[in-house]
Amino acid sequence: MRNMFADAPRTTLTAFYWAFLLYLLLPLTLMMAMSFKDANFVAFPIGDWTLDWYAKVMQDKQFLEACLYSVMIAAASTLAATTLGTWIAMLIVAEGIKGQVIIFALACLPAVVPGMISAISLRIFISTIDMPTGTAAIILGHTVHAVPFVVVMALTRLRSMPGNLVDAARDLGADSVVAFFRVTLPYLKPALVGGMIFCVLLSIDDFVRTFFLGGYRPTLPMLIFAKVQGGMSPEINAMATLVLVVTAAVGLYAEYLTRRARTR
Amino acid sequence: MVSSNTTAGYAGGRDASVPKYSTGIAKVVNSALYRHTLGAAVESRIGRVMLLTGVPLIWLVMMHVGPIYQMLKISLLSHYPVQPGVESRFTLDNYAIFFKESLYFTPLIKSFIFATTATAVTLVVVYPVAYYVAKIVKPEGRSKALLLLLVPFWAGELIRTFSVIMLLANRGAVNVLLREIGLIDRPIPMLYTSFSLGFGLVYLICLYMLLPLYSAIEKIPSQYLDAAADLGAGPFTRFRRIILPLSKDGIVSGCSLVFLTCIGVFATPMLLGGPTTVLFPETISGFFHGASDKWPVGAAFALIMLVTALITAGIFMRLVGGKKRSAF
Repeated sequence: MRNMFADAPRTTLTAFYWAFLLYLLLPLTLMMAMSFKDANFVAFPIGDWTLDWYAKVMQDKQFLEACLYSVMIAAASTLAATTLGTWIAMLIVAEGIKGQVIIFALACLPAVVPGMISAISLRIFISTIDMPTGTAAIILGHTVHAVPFVVVMALTRLRSMPGNLVDAARDLGADSVVAFFRVTLPYLKPALVGGMIFCVLLSIDDFVRTFFLGGYRPTLPMLIFAKVQGGMSPEINAMATLVLVVTAAVGLYAEYLTRRARTR
Repeated sequence: MVSSNTTAGYAGGRDASVPKYSTGIAKVVNSALYRHTLGAAVESRIGRVMLLTGVPLIWLVMMHVGPIYQMLKISLLSHYPVQPGVESRFTLDNYAIFFKESLYFTPLIKSFIFATTATAVTLVVVYPVAYYVAKIVKPEGRSKALLLLLVPFWAGELIRTFSVIMLLANRGAVNVLLREIGLIDRPIPMLYTSFSLGFGLVYLICLYMLLPLYSAIEKIPSQYLDAAADLGAGPFTRFRRIILPLSKDGIVSGCSLVFLTCIGVFATPMLLGGPTTVLFPETISGFFHGASDKWPVGAAFALIMLVTALITAGIFMRLVGGKKRSAF
């Protein structure tokens, strides 16, 4: 049965997959390679190699401050988004509440509004409530952005939860708050940890919301954007490579966690 | 799930004679403060409903609907932010400006052309990859094959855009390579053109297409394909009659996601585009930076964009998606 002809689509698809992977990885690999170039202009071929740009980046106060600022904003918005997202998911699966389809649609709204428009509407919104641009506004914007993803992740897990777990806890005398914290929350934990890491990456990655809601203190993407507009230098490559390595490691870890949660 | 000693603590949560436990939530639950506030609240049905619905509903109405509502409101005002001495009145002029000036009209059309083309290209390129991972790779290897594709996804919007410059610049990898093998004498200007912008958009968003397509194709039972093959259907017929119709849901959600993301991309056109590729987000942004008096116009334009983008996505869903419609 097996002949060359029957295998042709399979071989083509395999080749296509690897070509696509190469396409995905090539620009990033080039970007990383360029960070080792021993010259202060960005151009191929690379010629001499150096680690000087990394040394320079690690001493760059602006970069370190931007890192710290980004992490702080990510932590705050993740905490807020996880709490709110879980709460909304609990409301959607609750029995005896009407209009759950509408609540779900509202919860997903920020995920379908294009990023630019979401940023503009938030900029207008904070001005109508007299909130200044800056840290608090950025955190609010990132939280709005992240909530739909937490809701969807928490819902997926909640739907797979046997209903009698909470019933059993209630029969044994736990009130609904206790049942939530002792039974539902531990069950949700794997999904929430994956969701939280996703929120952190969303926040660290976000450019457009920060651009409209931020003050003068730059977050990481703002800093890189400003530097790229100011002129190319392998220093930016070194900066981007550092950020890429850290976020990719965190992302892979999140993948591993959600995968483990699913198989359990 | 619940260990016996803590259960006793909960059972007697409102009974002072029951020994108090000093760890974790039991301590909180047994405290007088909890028993008189939250503990008492959840005793009644109305209390439970309030606790469950209060915060989520306030958040959803305030933060998910609020900004869009405020944007709509301001787009209908003649002046905003309010200045002393200037009276702000209701007007539709902000919308009229859009239709009067081709200066504003063209970027929106361009935005739509770029987003639609990028979506179509992404679909065509990513579909075979998704099919390969879902159906040809053995089940054990699937997560690895998928994970390899996800690695660049974690690089983030700005860094991925930036990395495209390395490839397409005048002294970037492609031009240098072509010159080395003697195909060209001088670099082909690729950066800051429609090409580099399109390339960057596809590079940025192709993974948003992958996951919906993958999960739709993976759900198609392999027996269907075997049965069709037994009945004499060739690879092309199997694809057209079975795989394509059954992966429709994935195509619809992938395309909508990619389209809506593409429309709202702000940094990529600014880094990879040139003067001829000014897209609508950049136009809108101009009304908010600089002359602050133009906010109502910016709000009106953002709404025009939102409505046209959602209508386009909606029409597409109707055309391809057919009858099956459900939010869940």
